[in-house]
Parts: sequence; C-alpha cells; structure tokens
Amino acid sequence: MDLNDNNRKEAKQLLLLATLAGKIMLKNGAETYRVEDTIERICKSRKNIKYADAFVTPTGIFISLEYKGEMMTYLVRVKSIKIDLNKINLVNDFSREFVGSNMSIGKGLEKLKKINKIKNYNILTKTLFGSLACAFFSLLFGGTFFDFIASYLVSFVVLTTVNQISKYKMTFFINNFIGATLASVLSLLAVKIGIGKNMDIIIIGSIMSLVPGVAIANAMRDTISGDFLSGLSRGMEAVFSALAIAFGVGLVLNVYFKGLI
Amino acid sequence: MSIIKQLIFSLLSTIGFAVLFSIPKDSIFKSGVVGAIGWIGFYISSIYLKSNIAGTFFAAITVGVLGELLARYYKKPATVYIVPGIVPLVPGAGMYYTMLALVENDFFLAANKGTETFFIAAAISIGVIISTSLSKSIKRVKYKN
Repeated sequence: MDLNDNNRKEAKQLLLLATLAGKIMLKNGAETYRVEDTIERICKSRKNIKYADAFVTPTGIFISLEYKGEMMTYLVRVKSIKIDLNKINLVNDFSREFVGSNMSIGKGLEKLKKINKIKNYNILTKTLFGSLACAFFSLLFGGTFFDFIASYLVSFVVLTTVNQISKYKMTFFINNFIGATLASVLSLLAVKIGIGKNMDIIIIGSIMSLVPGVAIANAMRDTISGDFLSGLSRGMEAVFSALAIAFGVGLVLNVYFKGLI
Repeated sequence: MSIIKQLIFSLLSTIGFAVLFSIPKDSIFKSGVVGAIGWIGFYISSIYLKSNIAGTFFAAITVGVLGELLARYYKKPATVYIVPGIVPLVPGAGMYYTMLALVENDFFLAANKGTETFFIAAAISIGVIISTSLSKSIKRVKYKN
C-alpha cells in the first residue's frame, strides 16, 4: 500500500514535470505540435502510464494521463510569449535525455528549473546584434554607409525602448506600435540632422527588428501539422503585429507629409 | 561582385537576427549561412524571374529545406535554423511603401504595393509549408519501414 502511494505521487510529479517542460517551450516560441509531442513522450516514458495526451494552444496547455485506471489532469495558462529559441533546444535535449535514461523525476524537475533560468545572451548583446542585423539589412536594400550608421543607432534605441516597455506587460500590439513610431521618428530626425541620406531605407531597416518572423513561421508549421486552432491564432498574431507596425509608420509619415514636423 | 556583397551583408544580418532570437551559440554561424543562401536564392531568382514574389517563394523553400536538413543532422529543432533565415524575407519594405502610398493618397499604388506585400507573405508561408510537409512525409515513410 505504501509503495503504491509513492508511485501515485510520482505519477503526479511526472505530470508536473511534463507541464513545466511544455510551458517553457511554449513560452519561448515553440510550435504547438512540438510541445505536444514532447509532453507525450515524457509522460509515456515511465512505466504504469498507458495513456497520456496533451492539447496545446499558444495560450494554454491541457494534459491528462492515466495512472492505474485513475485520470490525472493539469491545465496551465501561458500568458506571455517571448522568443528564446535556445531554451526550446535545451528542453528538447532534456526530453531526449529524460526519456532515454532512468533519471529520477525530482532531478528532472531541478534540471528544468535550471533551464528556465538560463540566459543565453544578456540584453545588451541581443540589442547590439539585433541592431547590427537591421543595419546590414538597410545595406541589402542599397543604403549607403551613412544609412548603415543611422539605421544602427535608430534600431538600437528602438530595441532598447521596446525591451523597457515590455517590462510593463502591455500587449504586443502596443509594443510594436510604439517601436514602429519611434523608428520612423528617429529615422526622420537622423535624415534631418544629416547622419543618413535615404529615409525610406533607414525606416525599412529599423522596423525589421519588430517584424513577426517567428509568428509567421510557426503559424504555417502549426497549420500544416493539423493544429488549425494554433495556426489561426498565431496567424492572427502575425497579422496584427504587421498592422501595428504599419500604423506606427503611417502615423509618423502622415504627420511628416502634412508638414507638421 | 554585387552577389558577394549581398552574400556578406545577408550573412551578417541573419547572424544578428539569430542572436536577437537567442539561438544556441553553436548554431549561430550555421543559421547565418542558411539565411545567406536563402537571400542569394531570392536575389538571383527575383532578377531572373523579374518578380519579388517568385524570388521570395524560392528563397523560403531553400531556407526551409536547408533548415530541416540541418535540424535532422544536428538533432536540433528546425525552428532554430528556419526563423533567422525567414526574417530577412518578411516584406518590411512592402509594408513601408504601402503605407507611404496610402499617406500620399495614391490609392492605386497602395493597392499595387499592398497586394505585392500580401503575396510575398503568402509566398513565405507556402515555401515553409512545402519544406515542412516534405520533411514530415519523409519521417512517416521512415517510421513505416
């Protein structure tokens, strides 16, 4: 009886572990089918569990598993999504290791919590490289060396600001809108001061850091693997991010062409 | 000459995006190469086919297939390689020019640019769909055997 109870506790902990793994992946921008797959693999890797199923949407995880005829269910709501592809990779490796070996569940939980805290790059490095990406992108569009510098400075300020704003947990729409508005205003200023030459190229380069690339890729990959709900909601995220950027740019351009600046 | 320039710029640009999305340190250069090859695919095919949409389509397929292959070889999620390569293809410029035309009250140009932007986004999607479903069907065949 005692032994039996212990096992039941373990099954519950396994459920928690699988949920945590799924949550980390989903929060950092994994496709839903990958999250579902990982959760099911982790659950089914231990004995006595014959049935385990997961239903994942971009905003929540539902898992249930059957342990000796008893159903256990867990539900998690995932609110913020920020992109950290390294964590997806780490959890992926972890699940492979957990399934393949006889790792105890307590140790697994510890490892997952450690993964959750890892920061691959600090924010400054990310911002510096992100603005470098935008600056080179403006070169790809035929910008001059001065456009490169202007675009670098503008996107550095934009990325720093967006990082600061996202601490207040406003919606992604507002983040993108403010980012795009700031990018256009600063590009206008840069051209006026004389750092850059081609305003359009600087703006195009600077908004590239806000563009919803992950959402587009994930929406398609979800849809094609049969998760239509996730595909639709990720697609909506992409569409509205793009709209926010377009509105931000449009607002500034409108003011500029009416001669108010 | 201009191809070499584009290659270097797109490589560095993709590496920048890769760090922004915080991909694993050992995959940064690989994803940069994927992005650069994709961009060169876009550059060449959009010149020869005289269409940005077709160029984006081929570039997205290239990025998708290379990403899936690398993902299989290095046992990493395919997103790690695909996302940084896809971002430079996203029609930020199209969005900008559509907005510019709208602001200037040139609705004809706005419709023109807006449609192109929409179809470029669709081309990316279809490119990713094709490469992903190819890799999935290969997986299924392997499981059956």
